[in-house]
Amino acid sequence: MSTSRLDRLRSRSRSAGRRLRRETRALLRIARWEVSRGTNSFDRRTAAVTVVVLLVAGGVFGGLVASGVGSVGVDSGLYRVGVAADSPYHDPVADTSALAARPPAEAEVVDGELRGGVDLLVRDGAVLVADSQKGQAALSTFRDAVARYNDRRLGEEPNRGAAFPVLVTLRYAERDSAPTLASAGGRSVDDGSSGSEASSDSSDAGEPGASGDSGGDGSSGASGSADSDDAESGGTAADSGADGGFEVPGLGSGVLRTESTGSPADISPPFPFGSLVLAFAFLVPMNFVAQAYGGSVLNERVNRRGEPLLVTPVGPGTVVAGKTLPYVLGLTAVSALVALLVGGGPLSVAAVVPIALLYLAATFLAAMFARSFKELTFLTVTVSVFLTSYAFVPAVFADVTPISLISPLTLVVRDLQGTGATLGQYLFSAGPFVGCAAVLFLLGVGVYREEDMFTQRAVPLKALDALDARIRGKRSMLTLAALSIPFVLVAELLVVAVLFVLPLELSLPVLFVAIAAVEELAKSLHVYAGFAKARFARTVPTALVLGALSGTGFFLGEKLFAVVQVVGLPSLTVGRAAFESAGAGIGPAVSPATALALLLAPLALHVVTAATTATGASRGREAFAGAFVLATLLHAGYNLAVATVVSGLV
Amino acid sequence: MSESPSATERVRGRLAAARDAVGDAYRDPRVTVARREIASLRSEKTIVLALLIQLFVASFSSFLVVGLVSLSDPGSVEGYTADVAVTGEATDDLLRAAGTESGIDAVPYPNRRSATLAFEEGRVDAVLDTAVRDGRVHVTAVAPDESVRSTVVVVSLRDALREFERAEREERSAALDFEPLSLPPESTSSPYFGFTYTVLLPLLLFLPAFIAGSVTVDSITEEYDRGTLELLRVAPISLAGIVDGKLAAAAGLVPLQAGLWMLLLRLNGTPVANLPALLLLSAAVGLLVASLGAVVALTAPDRQVAQLVYSVGVLGLFGGATLLPVGPSNAAARLAVGSATPAVFAVVAVAVVVAVGGYGAARVVTGRTAGRMA
Repeated sequence: MSTSRLDRLRSRSRSAGRRLRRETRALLRIARWEVSRGTNSFDRRTAAVTVVVLLVAGGVFGGLVASGVGSVGVDSGLYRVGVAADSPYHDPVADTSALAARPPAEAEVVDGELRGGVDLLVRDGAVLVADSQKGQAALSTFRDAVARYNDRRLGEEPNRGAAFPVLVTLRYAERDSAPTLASAGGRSVDDGSSGSEASSDSSDAGEPGASGDSGGDGSSGASGSADSDDAESGGTAADSGADGGFEVPGLGSGVLRTESTGSPADISPPFPFGSLVLAFAFLVPMNFVAQAYGGSVLNERVNRRGEPLLVTPVGPGTVVAGKTLPYVLGLTAVSALVALLVGGGPLSVAAVVPIALLYLAATFLAAMFARSFKELTFLTVTVSVFLTSYAFVPAVFADVTPISLISPLTLVVRDLQGTGATLGQYLFSAGPFVGCAAVLFLLGVGVYREEDMFTQRAVPLKALDALDARIRGKRSMLTLAALSIPFVLVAELLVVAVLFVLPLELSLPVLFVAIAAVEELAKSLHVYAGFAKARFARTVPTALVLGALSGTGFFLGEKLFAVVQVVGLPSLTVGRAAFESAGAGIGPAVSPATALALLLAPLALHVVTAATTATGASRGREAFAGAFVLATLLHAGYNLAVATVVSGLV
Repeated sequence: MSESPSATERVRGRLAAARDAVGDAYRDPRVTVARREIASLRSEKTIVLALLIQLFVASFSSFLVVGLVSLSDPGSVEGYTADVAVTGEATDDLLRAAGTESGIDAVPYPNRRSATLAFEEGRVDAVLDTAVRDGRVHVTAVAPDESVRSTVVVVSLRDALREFERAEREERSAALDFEPLSLPPESTSSPYFGFTYTVLLPLLLFLPAFIAGSVTVDSITEEYDRGTLELLRVAPISLAGIVDGKLAAAAGLVPLQAGLWMLLLRLNGTPVANLPALLLLSAAVGLLVASLGAVVALTAPDRQVAQLVYSVGVLGLFGGATLLPVGPSNAAARLAVGSATPAVFAVVAVAVVVAVGGYGAARVVTGRTAGRMA
């Protein structure tokens, strides 16, 4: 008897293994088709057009760079300065691309005030400024230009001690580790090429242009030697008073917090510009690959072309996996190549792959929803713009705040700077991305079937279809609510990041409402889909049950993700407020009874608000909208109350 | 009195003629195609999506710049004062120079140890240790390693030290051949002024054009792909008419969107000068880019390939154009800010000519394609 059971088990496992092998073979075959289809569509004429367009575009670009016109900035000639050709101020104006030198006769001066013609007038050593924003902006640029001109001319002086009487060595010191002036951060040699060159120069500490490395790459090149003036005139996005900052990316020297020596003009605050630009190189190929992938998926839906694959014994999951595999591998390979080129390590690649997965997942869903190629283009552009900014913007603040870790690109910046990251930080960054990608693929695969693929419906309706495809019964409410957690996390982190720049008094109330709205939407959308598709009877008891299930599922999912607390996000006040309702931020000072109450209170809240929206959803669209607003307000009020209580207790 | 009926009739007749002309234009198959295109954009709500994308791009780039400026020049954003301990031989001179700077509050300390202690205990934000060697002042600055604060502190230190350098240089001016020019007064300018005109405005002006080209590519390749081009060719309209209609719909929307953004900027308190020239420029770029899209789509009807070639081509062309002495984005900035020279208007004229040339090229390619199809 036991042998027969063992046999059954063995044969079952064997058949499972066979099935797995068969599916894998099918997957690989579909992947091969996908690759060959992509290459076949490049016929000779197409290839010729591609080459011509690329040559023209590249030729225009390269030709202009080679001919040296490329040093002209986008701001060239923005402000007009009336200055005589023999004035000592003519040279600084002529040297600065944003300023256009005009003859003083063009100025219209009435009663000693500048009325038009030019924005600034230099006359008898005094400066007349037009009474406008533009006049003030021109003055600010002019002031910088004169300071830069002075520095450049002084750089040519033989008497260095008189020209640059002050030499500054800048060091950074941590305060709690008892640093002294002597021990505070010794000279560390940068591994980047330009950086090491700079630090070797700075040993003869007389050259103002040869500052150390650190973030001073922008100004170190600009204020020193005579030929460097056009470097400054490049893309000055904002003509801020600071003449270092972010204008000129000094690629290669991304290491911060090292010592630097030079004249006072050379010191500049830490800023990870170089690494940031390099990190952006990872995002560019993704847009192109995602575009091709979306086109390929939509292609299956045009003229029922995907039907032959659908009728094969292979499941939709395998078909989608097979179609996606080449693109995932391609993007991984490209990322590895980019990493190799810009000097990133395995961490960079590991951080970029989750972004790539989310790009592909979002594009896949967009292609499943789109009615036409036009619509797909708009959807993919939306996806690209959103994901690119979501990944890129927080990374700007990589050295400023831990909240920047919401984007895996921050890990790339840290990797390029040599800072590295812990496993916890990696999971915090990449986890939501991978989770979102998985859920999006899951939703997309749900509608990868005949009745959805070859029909034309508006995108929101398709989205409801996709949610509905995942509803198997009332219990699905539980799982769908839990599955929404990664999106909630991403959305909330985005809200936190955007509100981070606002003052705290303003950002906290907005934050509470925004976060409540995100969570309520996540808890109610699938319930609404279920009612809209007539899956459930439109009665109050059903709605209450569905709401309770959805609220519980969300609560459980939230608890699962409360791990984010470990990473140190709570060190931010805003971050703490965002996750207060997760109930994990309880300090040891709280008594067990209060702790239990604080643990169960969110459950009650989620159940109540989800039941509210579910009841609304059962009555139709308008009632759903009203109930949603009500639930959001309720939720926000609760969060505010808890925040007050907890901060009062601790 | 006798004249009045005839006058009325004349007006009526003229009205009828105008109505006929409009009716003819309305019945013009090219207009029909253009209307169909716009209707499909409207039914798919993609135009709303397009506007949202542009708004998102604009707001995020603004957000980025506000963040960048507050990092590189925090003093401009908030009135922050750094407490600095000054010690060493040149303490008095440095204190005098730092007194004129608002962002810094310098306090003398008798020696390096007491200054370091004050720094560690958090009583001061930074330490400046001075020493005079070979007639030069060597300053060792210690700033806290505390992310945002260190940025703010370093910027304040730099301003104070530059002032100090200026004062020290003054004392040594006898040994210099070049007498430094005196600086113009400080300005009250917002650091975002230049950004608004050089980045934000060109972005909003030209983004609609890129989207228009992409729409043209999709629209034409889709007709091929779904086999509907054959159906259209049975209708009494030439391929050139079809392409004309699609171009008109895509490129026509460009100046409308651009105009909307310019009006919004004006409402937002950003004066925009030379509006007609700006709209003409955006219309020309729109027509050129849409024509490029049509050429690419007609020669490479596979949608994926066409989109790829189109995007790379447009990026390359626009990247190249910004490198010109007066590129389209620089021309737009100068027009809008009111610093336009005749050269800038010439650029607009050239853009119009190039756009018409591009449209002509699209017509030639359309003719060839029609010949091949027949």
